[in-house]
Amino acid sequence: MIGDMLETQELRKTFGTGKVALDRVSFAVRPGEMFGFVGANGAGKTTTMRIVMGVMQADSGEVRWKGAPLGFAERRKFGYMPEERGLYQKMRVADQIEYFGRLHGLSPAAAGKAAGDLVERLGLTERAKDAVESLSLGNQQRVQLAVALVHDPDVLVLDEPFSGLDPLAVDALAEALRERARSGVPVIFSSHQLELVERLCDSVGIISAGRMVASGTVDELRASEGRKLRVVVADPEPGWAQDLAGELTVEGGREVLVTQDDDDQRVLRAAMRAGRVEHFGVERPTLTEIFKEAVA
Amino acid sequence: MNGLLLVAGREIRTQVRSKSFVISLVISALLIGAVAFAPKILGGSDSFKVGVVASQRLQVWGDAKVEWKDYADEGAAKRAVLDGDVDAALVGGTKVLTDGEIDDQLGLLLQSAHREAQIGAAGVTVTPLVMQSVGADTRYQKTRTGIAVVLVVILFMLVIGTPMMVAMGVVEEKSSRIVEILLTSVRPVQLLGGKILGLGVVGLINLVVAIAAGLVGALASGLAVDFPPGMAGIVAGVVVWFVLGYLFFAAFAAMLASLVSRQEEVGNVLTPMTMTMMVTYGVAFYSAADPTSTVATITSFVPPFSSMVMPVRAAAAEVPFWQVAVSAVAMAAAAVAVALLAARIYERAVLRTGARVRLLDVVKGR
Repeated sequence: MIGDMLETQELRKTFGTGKVALDRVSFAVRPGEMFGFVGANGAGKTTTMRIVMGVMQADSGEVRWKGAPLGFAERRKFGYMPEERGLYQKMRVADQIEYFGRLHGLSPAAAGKAAGDLVERLGLTERAKDAVESLSLGNQQRVQLAVALVHDPDVLVLDEPFSGLDPLAVDALAEALRERARSGVPVIFSSHQLELVERLCDSVGIISAGRMVASGTVDELRASEGRKLRVVVADPEPGWAQDLAGELTVEGGREVLVTQDDDDQRVLRAAMRAGRVEHFGVERPTLTEIFKEAVA
Repeated sequence: MNGLLLVAGREIRTQVRSKSFVISLVISALLIGAVAFAPKILGGSDSFKVGVVASQRLQVWGDAKVEWKDYADEGAAKRAVLDGDVDAALVGGTKVLTDGEIDDQLGLLLQSAHREAQIGAAGVTVTPLVMQSVGADTRYQKTRTGIAVVLVVILFMLVIGTPMMVAMGVVEEKSSRIVEILLTSVRPVQLLGGKILGLGVVGLINLVVAIAAGLVGALASGLAVDFPPGMAGIVAGVVVWFVLGYLFFAAFAAMLASLVSRQEEVGNVLTPMTMTMMVTYGVAFYSAADPTSTVATITSFVPPFSSMVMPVRAAAAEVPFWQVAVSAVAMAAAAVAVALLAARIYERAVLRTGARVRLLDVVKGR
């Protein structure tokens, strides 16, 4: 199974203007793994995904699939949802899904069946014969997803699949992706919704200014962040934390100390001397915090 | 190859299913069918009705047909002339009544027939002159020119219209970014080739229907009797020339269209192609009227002008087969060259969305 892995190795891309878009971007997505790709706007997520999907060429480095360089024939079995959604506006929903199935190499019968199944599962049965342009944006997004899924892809690459969806649609899409992952498909998606990524993904890659600044499971990222201690003391003596490393903030009548470097027992003793300790514990940084730290 | 045919199939289905396709097909068929009737209606007729009062019917020579009609007296004949029942009336073998100036041809016919009749009456037999052309066969000249003009119009409509559809399609895919998904499963050359092939088939359907409508119209109106020999060859030639011209201009259009990302920019970016097309059209139209001129002869060998001038020249006058063949080979070579260039440019430009891509940048690979 470890062979069914999608990897990028040292991808580099410089645009005509001289701007370095990607600088040695490497990551790996294992079969059945959901990989969340996060980064600020312009950090290089879309460029990386385009290179993975072959719609853009890297200057150097390569994309590997099952341990070998990824070629056109294998990539044809991938499913892709680009950042800028695109469908034939005047084409009927079912016809369109079927057409993409055929382009991905399905037989006419298989493409027709797959399109029919997806139309039903995505709740588009009544709109199957309508032109895409007559659909609401949410429904168009569903068709877009169907186009990426119609050929039962080996790998899913989705650029901002959740953007513009209402909470219910987000859940439905998340479930659809989980289902694919469970069947052993590596799934990569980019998103700015970090809580969502944290909730859904087995592993995360953080890219900043064209460089992968962190990647791994969310727990691994937390571990590398270091343990953070948070102490809340009510009505403390002033200046109790003067000798302690860390950041002190005042919230109401309480003083909150967050520290990474100081010894926990020393901190606890100091806090107890100073006043009533309401909270003492190790902080689990959220992905948002990890992200901010990583790109800072 | 499979991808190319799938793309072509979609293009054909999309077009053929659209209302505008059916409507324009019907309209063009009707128009061209009507054009086939036009010479009968507009052109000088070569059959006449002549009334006769108290005189013998004259013997008329030549192609013109005269239908005689007897009237009891001059008054009745006069009324018939004024009512337009007859073109003229011969009264008493001495005078001819007409409504206004007499038709030149009819006047000459009656005069000569009258002269002959009188000479014949005097016992002299006149043997009519035998007409023999030692130059080119010009019997079909008018019809040939007519056919050539109609061909220019049909070819122009289709050779400009169909590549326009190619250009719009390229930009549609580029502006909707659907091209990004397409190119993960088909190669750029398949996508471009499929589009050109599919819309070319649509154009051919249009052409065949137009020609069929013209032929049916010509048969119905009796115009077909005047068709020059080798009409089948002319029609087959038009199909070949359409394919060559279409390939050239469609590849040209697709190449330019791949540089822009918005439909509004298509017209502008296509200017070099439309200008070339207009010049071609102008030369072809001129050649239809004067097919043996030096301009017509020279441009009928120069691609892409030859794609319209040669079929028009061949319809309007006799052209040796070797000339047509040489010109066709040159045009095919030009079309293939443009198609290869277009494939390169398209491949490099079609994924670059946003501002218009400069052709020079694409060529240099920047």
